[in-house]
Amino acid sequence: MSVLIETIYKSISYRGAEGQWAWILHRASGLGIVLFLYMHIISIFLASIGPGPYEWVHATLYTSPPAKVLEVFLLFGVLYHAVNGMRIIIIDFFPVLGKYQRTLVRIELALVVLVLIPAAIITLRGLF
Amino acid sequence: MAVTTGRATKGKTQYGSPNHERRIWLFMRLSGLVMFITVLFHLLYMHMVVRVENITYDNIAERWSGPAGLFWRLFDASLLLIGMAHGMNGARFSINDYIHNKFLNLVLTGLVYGIGALVILAGALALIFGTGGLGRLFQ
Repeated sequence: MSVLIETIYKSISYRGAEGQWAWILHRASGLGIVLFLYMHIISIFLASIGPGPYEWVHATLYTSPPAKVLEVFLLFGVLYHAVNGMRIIIIDFFPVLGKYQRTLVRIELALVVLVLIPAAIITLRGLF
Repeated sequence: MAVTTGRATKGKTQYGSPNHERRIWLFMRLSGLVMFITVLFHLLYMHMVVRVENITYDNIAERWSGPAGLFWRLFDASLLLIGMAHGMNGARFSINDYIHNKFLNLVLTGLVYGIGALVILAGALALIFGTGGLGRLFQ
């Protein structure tokens, strides 16, 4: 356990700037998405049992106000993981672009925020 | 991005083929490329156009019915299989990076793949039998 805490502490305190933060965010978003995915597939499975179980989960886990806030995190997580994944693929297959990786991280974050802002407004507008 | 080569091997071969992890590395990139299109479409269409409030039981039943329904079920099946394979493997990368205790590593990896297999089975049953299909089987 102490090894785990030390590894996590060092990966946060390591001063790798943009590249390191992009890597941490990729890992955190990936683990978050996979947890959501397990829940999401099981809740769709409930729809094959009948309307009752599905509608209950839909009302509590997906459309309640706290769920709408978490939905914005999901939108950010998937958008970020997708765009950062493309940056990883581009640098893996064109290593010469590695020297621009910091610029690429900034461009991708701008891109994610640009899509996330309207998406978050559309997601949360029912709450206000 | 971490490219794991298994836990500290000390010269022992952990996998059957030396190309095993290289193929997984390629799979992560290819599945990522495919899902950049399919998952982003699924996410933005379901959340921005349909909107989560409207994904009711009847909405799913309608989308999965008729000839177009077959297309959507196959599309959803691709999300299920590619997404779960990519996701479970990504979780394995993280477990191998942080959990160096052999027993705990095995337990956690087993949980990810064991529960993952049940989740894939549940998703496949839903796609094959459709809305209410399993419920009707047991009536």
